[in-house]
Amino acid sequence: MGITHQPAGHKTATTSWRVVDIVIAAVIAVSSGVIFWAWNSSHHLLDVLFLAFPPSAALVSGMWLFPAVLGALIIRKPGAALFCEVVAAMVSALMGSEFGLTVLASGLIQGLGAEVVFAAFRYRTFNLPVALLAGAGAGLFGSVNDTFIFRWFPEYTTGMLLAYIGFMTISGIIIAGLLSFLGTRALAKTGALGALASRKAATEPILG
Amino acid sequence: MGTGITMSSASMLHRENDTAATVQHRCDAVSVSARNWGWRHADRKQAALSGLDLEIRAGERVLLAGPSGAGKSTLLYALAGVLDEDDETYSSGELLLDGAPAAQGRGLVGLMQQDPETQVVQARVGDDVAFGAENLSVPPAQIRRRIIEALDAVGLEVPLDHPTSALSGGQKQRLALAGILAMGPGLVLLDEPTANLDPDGVLEVRDAVLAALDSTGATLLIVEHRLEAWAEHMDRVIVLEPGGGIAHDGTPGELFAPGPVRDQLVAAGVWVPGYTPAFDPLPAPGESAALLLEATDLAVTRKRGARPAASGLDLRLGAGEAWCVRGANGSGKSTFALTLGGLLPVGSGTVLATGELAAGTEARPYHWRATELVGRIGSVFQEPEHQFVTHTVAEELAYGPRHAVRPGTREPLFTEQEISSRVESLLSRLRLGHLAEANPFTLSGGEKRRLSVATVLAAGPQVLILDEPTFGQDANTWRELALLLREELGRGTAIIAVTHDADFARALGAHEFVLQSPDTADAAAPADARPGLLEADVRGGTSFLGRANPLAKLAAVSLATIPLVASMDWVSSGIVVAATVLALPLAGLSIPRFLARGWPLLLAALFGAWGTALVGNDSGAVLLDAGIFTITEGSLSAGAATGMRAFAVAIPAVLVLFTTDPTDLANALAQKARLPHRFVLGALAGMRLLGLLIEEWTTLGMARRARGVGSRGSAAARLRANLGQVFGLLVQAIRRASRLAVTMEAKGFGTAERTWLRPSRYGLRDAGIVAAGLLLGTVATGASLALGTWNLVWS
Repeated sequence: MGITHQPAGHKTATTSWRVVDIVIAAVIAVSSGVIFWAWNSSHHLLDVLFLAFPPSAALVSGMWLFPAVLGALIIRKPGAALFCEVVAAMVSALMGSEFGLTVLASGLIQGLGAEVVFAAFRYRTFNLPVALLAGAGAGLFGSVNDTFIFRWFPEYTTGMLLAYIGFMTISGIIIAGLLSFLGTRALAKTGALGALASRKAATEPILG
Repeated sequence: MGTGITMSSASMLHRENDTAATVQHRCDAVSVSARNWGWRHADRKQAALSGLDLEIRAGERVLLAGPSGAGKSTLLYALAGVLDEDDETYSSGELLLDGAPAAQGRGLVGLMQQDPETQVVQARVGDDVAFGAENLSVPPAQIRRRIIEALDAVGLEVPLDHPTSALSGGQKQRLALAGILAMGPGLVLLDEPTANLDPDGVLEVRDAVLAALDSTGATLLIVEHRLEAWAEHMDRVIVLEPGGGIAHDGTPGELFAPGPVRDQLVAAGVWVPGYTPAFDPLPAPGESAALLLEATDLAVTRKRGARPAASGLDLRLGAGEAWCVRGANGSGKSTFALTLGGLLPVGSGTVLATGELAAGTEARPYHWRATELVGRIGSVFQEPEHQFVTHTVAEELAYGPRHAVRPGTREPLFTEQEISSRVESLLSRLRLGHLAEANPFTLSGGEKRRLSVATVLAAGPQVLILDEPTFGQDANTWRELALLLREELGRGTAIIAVTHDADFARALGAHEFVLQSPDTADAAAPADARPGLLEADVRGGTSFLGRANPLAKLAAVSLATIPLVASMDWVSSGIVVAATVLALPLAGLSIPRFLARGWPLLLAALFGAWGTALVGNDSGAVLLDAGIFTITEGSLSAGAATGMRAFAVAIPAVLVLFTTDPTDLANALAQKARLPHRFVLGALAGMRLLGLLIEEWTTLGMARRARGVGSRGSAAARLRANLGQVFGLLVQAIRRASRLAVTMEAKGFGTAERTWLRPSRYGLRDAGIVAAGLLLGTVATGASLALGTWNLVWS
């Protein structure tokens, strides 16, 4: 907000959102909606692969989770993961989702899974391990929601449900966590993040 | 924003006293003064501006010029109060508006930028004009008056509920100006307001600006590359010196008269009025020029099955020939260019490569693989960033030749040695050598333009197609581009340029290919006049549900969905589906129209049912035995329940979707649900870009194919291509979002309080709707329990 003076050399860690943070977060979420849409119209090719063991379909579920991690890595404000995932869910609901309005609840829960990880690191660390953990968090929350809260798969055995949770968590780590982390660094190199706290993401230590 | 809150209430009171009557009437013009002022952006090492001393009197009209990188835009943003100070930025000296720091002057100042798409914040014209005034907490009754006056002042005669997405670029800029006028600012800042517009759009916007200033008397500060249209209407021209300070300051007459100052400006790339880089006429290509590409009775369209954007086109393109494609907005110029470039399938008619270009293989360019296309026809897109596919300038240049293959084969077209010599020669020809290792996205506008042309030339195409290559370029880049293309013509490359720039066409010695304007009957309903993707259907919007509060609808649907989430049975699901179908007329929907919108949901439900039937617990008679899967009576009924439940969960949302305008939803969320309005309206503004980003996704796919990025090939290659396209989309999305945020901040957005032009109401109808949702949920649960089908999913 306005003028904030931080000790030199310290990471920018203002917790309040500026207008540019809000709008960019919203547009990341909206672009995710576009990516979902493009994905929706092309990923049915993979469905054949998952027929053999249906819970393995969760291996690509990380696709639905990346807005949370990407948004938080780019915006770096409390609530960014939650906001991006919920707005992305809203966009997919508006574009016509097969999950109706429950997609909003799913978005909220998945976003929360990533948000708790960033919060645990007090919104100060945005390195690779944190990104992977956040992806895992989103996958875990999302899959537990699918299997034990909304119970989308009442016919699955407990083993299959657990497999689903495992697969979705792995997918969250790889697609939502790793790809978002690499994506943020590549975006920072283009200069597009110049207005944001993540503008130096490309030169920050990966593990530090 | 902390600074915003304190300032806007104070300045607003001041403003209300003086301009309460109307916007048109003269406002208090604001004076500007800079004292040894400087600024460095957080992500830069060098200051954008330093040691600036400047006085602009109230009511003056000032043109701000200078080479790119002189900090012109930075000065405008600082005056608009949208430069955020944080621990990594650096500022010095003072920048004052009427003697008070500019950072606190929001509301006194209006800012317009060049990209029309990000100057619009709201989905409807009236709402968009009101946006700034609402942020300044102007009372709604007064805003209503200001909207009419402001639209009148800019000459935009469209209904207040007209979708902003259906406006042309020039109309969008006039709309942005109306929004600025409705705030009643004493200083109007225009940052290249016409750079993205065609010549008619330029005059349209300029005249609107001048007329508006004549009536308000506000101070004007404008940054432009092309000075021709503006110079004579300005009181004063200030030329900034790169690195700091002012190079020249005087009247347009003094500075632009022949003499050393004019020469200096020309050398710096400024488009001084009356100046065009001069070229000798090119020798005409011989009569024997070999035919390369031929379009016969061609109709072009972006969407299969849609009405063609242009038809009956015939073109014979010979080696070494240049053609310039002209025509009004919407006449299908770009679509024509994309079709010739093998990026869009033909609507009807043919586009055929002949002779050397066909090389004895498939003659239809659209059917070539990307790697076959790149060495034969090169397309340069209007936005250079759409075509960047690597991380350094040198790799970018090497990409095309490395991926190019001989037509009909998989053999590389160039050896490693040839590739590196091509890269070296292009780097030096285009003076990009010192940037070889730089990230392409970080170059300046002119450098990006040169690079994007060079990357396409690198693979040595015989036909080069360019879309508006000179838009927004300074005179130096323009001249270099013309030189480069003239060299290519000399080598026998054929060139097609979609351009409004008659001087550029002349420099290339181009033949003219004029596309007919769409006839007036068609123009009345251009393809993009449909409301944006997310806007409620017109019929839905006026229905019973369309006039209800969105929150009531959401609450009702949620209440009806609870039993579906809780229980897996066909009775409760069936009741909700039946009730939804009965409620369709309330949403202005018939069953066919509902199916037109809802069929994917039905399909998804069927898939779900099928899946469950396959893997579900087997019981009862075996109906189908397919190896490891069997379908039994038990698993089939489980499948039916699963499918019905999925369908019942999904379809009530269609009622909400079809009847709810996102703007109304946002108003309700902010006013009634009391969610923070900054987040709600920020999300809404972002969502407005959805349609644009979908278009951008398609454009990116074509732009990348033109670079040789294939959409066919191994799974790994496809995955890489898709990830690259996602990345390209994110870059464009974030850039647009940054500009949109500047627009919103400059319109005073972000303060704690604001007024609302359209109050969100909650009445009897809404209470009824919530009650109906509750009743439906209760009946569904009760019936299911009574019939003994209730099947709690958590048990």
